[in-house]
Amino acid sequence: MPPPAASSRYPSPSQPSGKSEVTDLKSQLRQLAGSRAPGVDDSKRDLFKKVISYMTIGIDVSSVFGEMVMCSATSDIVLKKMCYLYVGNYAKGNPDLSLLTINFLQRDCKDEDPMIRGLALRSLCSLRVPNLVEYLLGPLGSGLKDNNSYVRTIAVTGVLKLYHISASTCIDAEFPATLKSLMLHDSDAQVVANCLAALQEIWSLEASHSEEACREKESLLSKPLIYYFLNRYSYLKGRSKFQYGGVCFCRIKEFNEWAQCLILELAVKYVPSDSNDIFDIMNLLEDRLQHANGAVVLATVKVFLQLTLSMTDVHQQVYERIKSPLLTLVSSGSPEQSYAILSHLHLLVVRAPFIFASDYKHFYCQYNEPSYVKKLKLEMLTAIANESNTYEIVTELCEYAANVDIEIARESIRAVGKIALQQYDVNAIVDRLLQFLEMEKDYVTAETLVLVKDLLRKHPQWSHDCISVVGGISSKNIQEPKAKAALIWMLGEYAQDMSDAPYILENLIENWEEEHSAEVRLHLLTAAMKCFFKRAPETQKALGIALAAGIADFHQDVHDRALFYYRVLQYDVHVAERVVSPPQQAVSAFADTQSSEIKDRIFDEFNSLSVIYQKPSYIFTDKEHRGPFEFSDELGSTSITPEVSSDIVPAQQFEANDKDLLLSTDEKDDNKGLSSNNGSAYTAPYESSNISSQMQELAISGPAASATTTQSSFDFDDLLGLGLSTAPAPTPSPPLLKLNARAALDPRAFQQKWRQLPISLSQEYSVNPQGIAALTVPQSLIKHMQSHSIHCIASGGQSPNFKFFFFAQKEAEPLDYLTECIINSSSAKAQIKVKADEQSTSQAFATVFETALSKFGMP
Amino acid sequence: MPVAASAIYFLNLRGDVLINRTYRDDVGGNMVDAFRTHIMQTKELGNCPVRQIGGCSFVYMRISNVYIVIVASSNANVACGFKFVVEAVALFKSYFGGAFDEDAIRNNFVLIYELLDEIMDFGYPQNLSPEILKLYITQEGVRSPFSSKPKDKPIPNATLQVTGAVGWRREGLSYKKNEVFLDIVESVNLLMSSKGNVLRCDVTGKVLMKCFLSGMPDLKLGLNDKIGLEKESEMKSRPAKSGKTIELDDVTFHQCVNLTRFNSEKTVSFVPPDGEFELMKYRITEGVNLPFRVLPTINELGRTRMEVNVKVKSVFGAKMFALGVVVKIPVPKQTAKTNFQVTTGRAKYNPSIDCLVWKIRKFPGQTESTLSAEIELISTMGEKKSWTRPPIQMEFQVPMFTASGLRVWFLKVWEKSGYNTVEWVRYITKAGSYEIRC
Repeated sequence: MPPPAASSRYPSPSQPSGKSEVTDLKSQLRQLAGSRAPGVDDSKRDLFKKVISYMTIGIDVSSVFGEMVMCSATSDIVLKKMCYLYVGNYAKGNPDLSLLTINFLQRDCKDEDPMIRGLALRSLCSLRVPNLVEYLLGPLGSGLKDNNSYVRTIAVTGVLKLYHISASTCIDAEFPATLKSLMLHDSDAQVVANCLAALQEIWSLEASHSEEACREKESLLSKPLIYYFLNRYSYLKGRSKFQYGGVCFCRIKEFNEWAQCLILELAVKYVPSDSNDIFDIMNLLEDRLQHANGAVVLATVKVFLQLTLSMTDVHQQVYERIKSPLLTLVSSGSPEQSYAILSHLHLLVVRAPFIFASDYKHFYCQYNEPSYVKKLKLEMLTAIANESNTYEIVTELCEYAANVDIEIARESIRAVGKIALQQYDVNAIVDRLLQFLEMEKDYVTAETLVLVKDLLRKHPQWSHDCISVVGGISSKNIQEPKAKAALIWMLGEYAQDMSDAPYILENLIENWEEEHSAEVRLHLLTAAMKCFFKRAPETQKALGIALAAGIADFHQDVHDRALFYYRVLQYDVHVAERVVSPPQQAVSAFADTQSSEIKDRIFDEFNSLSVIYQKPSYIFTDKEHRGPFEFSDELGSTSITPEVSSDIVPAQQFEANDKDLLLSTDEKDDNKGLSSNNGSAYTAPYESSNISSQMQELAISGPAASATTTQSSFDFDDLLGLGLSTAPAPTPSPPLLKLNARAALDPRAFQQKWRQLPISLSQEYSVNPQGIAALTVPQSLIKHMQSHSIHCIASGGQSPNFKFFFFAQKEAEPLDYLTECIINSSSAKAQIKVKADEQSTSQAFATVFETALSKFGMP
Repeated sequence: MPVAASAIYFLNLRGDVLINRTYRDDVGGNMVDAFRTHIMQTKELGNCPVRQIGGCSFVYMRISNVYIVIVASSNANVACGFKFVVEAVALFKSYFGGAFDEDAIRNNFVLIYELLDEIMDFGYPQNLSPEILKLYITQEGVRSPFSSKPKDKPIPNATLQVTGAVGWRREGLSYKKNEVFLDIVESVNLLMSSKGNVLRCDVTGKVLMKCFLSGMPDLKLGLNDKIGLEKESEMKSRPAKSGKTIELDDVTFHQCVNLTRFNSEKTVSFVPPDGEFELMKYRITEGVNLPFRVLPTINELGRTRMEVNVKVKSVFGAKMFALGVVVKIPVPKQTAKTNFQVTTGRAKYNPSIDCLVWKIRKFPGQTESTLSAEIELISTMGEKKSWTRPPIQMEFQVPMFTASGLRVWFLKVWEKSGYNTVEWVRYITKAGSYEIRC
């Protein structure tokens, strides 16, 4: 592997440029190579140190490979180590040269000093050169039988390394079987632990294509084996047992803390036979909760939680039992460690908030804690708030609202809001929220407004108290779009209670041009409408201006909404009122952002990154999920650096490419959308004066808009029709397109093409319910499409939104079809965009694609 | 798979690689660049210690002026990763003798490479115990078991220890004078509201030991904690001793403590490692004796003037005293001038942290001292932004005092040769995060 190119990236004056120094080193090494003079080891050591330090700072010293190997004939162990290190670093790039090292490494593997045997064996296995694997077998075989445990531990890991270089060689040499017997019979705990690690990895990778490996993998979870591991370490608890220690273990040793993590992780997967079994294991492991190593504690917690999943009341007791050790871990150790533990606690807190309800004080933030810890603590406080502790928690959260860290201040206000939405008794909280508004800090006011809005949507009965305070806020002080939108929503919704609502809205509408956020403009339109229905005479003028400005707006949604309101008003004012401003309905519950299925999955992956990221591991570890960026990254690492500068930031470049790729298509869509609108049948009057005069007319003569009825209802049908049409109107069926089943296209070429080609077709299909059901993970669709010769190049997203990039190639002709396909599984719609080398056949391809898609999920 | 790391990087604050070790091929060599461009050079740096970029997870920690970054491509065990870094740093420190920073790494890079090779193999942590590693990886790297074979300890013994037995102690130690030092160090965390209510208060304590004992001694420690005492009185069938008993919320022990025996007999018995180590850690939330009470009053007089009055009372025994007491009283950023009087100690306005720093070297028990200050502010034009009052923070050390009331009941040393030992016990209470809102 090439060394990191740090030096070329950050050239610092003190660092040598490399070339001349390396040549210098080369000649010096050559002089020493043959010398047997006393003290030669010391000078060699200095030279080796220099080589290694160059290597570390990223200077390519591979050119002295030959000399290093020549100098390796030494009995000095430090020299040997440096030499091994060097060889390990450059062997992969110089497979021919590394052949030179085999000889001396093999010789060292037979050295009488176990240290040297071990080191040589480790280096030999770390060369990672596929064509040298044959030289590994002998030393590995004897290493596994070595009478020194240090060498055996290294040999066991060596087998795993060999497996990753060449799986077949490893399996053919029957190393897994040897490891298994070592695991069961070796007297050294570390050897046993490494065997377990290696076998777990090998068998789980083999399991996909070998039934035997599958069986072996299962056998690791058998009862005798689990007890062998667990008992072993319970036997080993201390010397007191030494006297009566089991016959089977003559030399009793304890697994070290890291090996314990490994074994506990294995125990998690064990399916106990009955409840006695469960209690036996829990009794064996209970004292692990007192271990000083947090990783061991967490692993034990996981075992406890998983074992008792089926026994509800024991499961609750487990929560009680593990609470205290986890809280200790949070308060000891570095903030990073607390963060890792807190993330896990957070998961547990969300699952069983009532158990932690009395411990809320542990989640109070300290002034000096880093913000990532504070944020988690705030989330926990939100989760565990209930009738008994709400008052204290909210009081505490209010303290944070004045925090210097603005982000935390905002989070804590949001937390207060969330608690308010969870609770039935919101009386006190409303007062607190309203007090925030009196703090007269822009960001506090902004967050609070958003919350008050949400609160009113759920508990409209509080409108009276809130509105009187909100009405006193000057809209000039609110800059943030979200807050402004919230305020405007309230102005519209409660126009009858706020005496100057129409005038505030009018003011805002007059500054339409300066309003940069589309969201705010959308809200302005709606609020103006609502206000109009409640206080028509005062709002009429403002509404006219708003609609005119909205229709002329460059933003698609704003334009559409303005036009829609205009038409509805034109059609019938009463209908418009029913549509835009129906009687208020309280929202009973806001949608949960995470499905319970995903939460359970994360819980199954307790004690891993999933918990930190709060998403199941398949989303961030499977290659298919990583999207185009990932491919570029792999390309970056495989290309061996002829031009260093371009190799350094490929990831970033590609990401940028990806972004502008997406951007450019979006823009195109926009343009297209606009132009098609211009050309459509229903051209709206664009002159603003015209509209406002019409508006006045309208307001006075409500239902007198029948003239336009037929026209608009036709439009309406048209609109609906678009949404419902399941298939595009059958155009004269194009000749059937045959696709190449073994088409290949590399990601880079795909990206390039995608950038260059115009969109030749863009369509929306509906996906049949069976297809949606089958689409739990993107892979299922990818496989399906592949059977139709349409290949996936990248995919991503999670339920309900999935995104795929497909490509296909015409049979016998090198013509590619590139497709972007966005599937929303909740609306059962698939949007596709096709780009093709040959524009004329893209419709034919789309038909093929649609047929393939429609068969998805069918048996 | 609890793989802790595919690669480990040590970077300085500029982002230069000081040292790196790739354990597995599943992460690319350019990963460190991704870390630099996506984390170090962005605001992300302080935001979260675990980040994912392009399918690889970066778990990182800053220790003095070095970033230690673990890269993993699988769904790694994070807690294990962090613990590994912490332990590795402790190991390096024990090799360099104290400091761990950029210079120490640059000066010892060969040694670090050696250690990195030993402590992790193919992503699985191996042995991180300094006691054992020091047997065969020597400080200067000069002493090689091979070259000095005749006179040095027999090698098989060393390698046996590498993987082994009582991993934390060597056989055959011998001291002329057998001594044990035991320190109970507690830190008090307090969060008090401006009205004087205790919002949150707990004590995290450590029992630190330093052993210079010959042979393989068995030690037994008795504390006045509730469970231990109840068990004892039950076993000896006599009423519990009167006096205060302490309820520990949670205890964790060094790996040398026999946990089975702790659970069955509630005694802490162990074969100690040689030298210094942390025997146990505990946490207490009930019945904490706060050593200090702080009573602040702050009056904002108009826009440009403030009056601050802080009274600190020591509430521990009159014969004891606190050392190194520091009270940091926050003042607004736009402070122009400060005038203050203190009854004891010295105070100073420190504009870089916007605090009045009041230091009292020695603070006897059952006394009180006050600081009164008048603060003039620069009048700021424009919008009025009220001052967000950060809490008053306090630092102190009180020797011979434990906030929890924990005491050592007995410490017994038993070794088969039956030598006499000298035991030293100390107590000290420090301020953890001692915050008083005002």
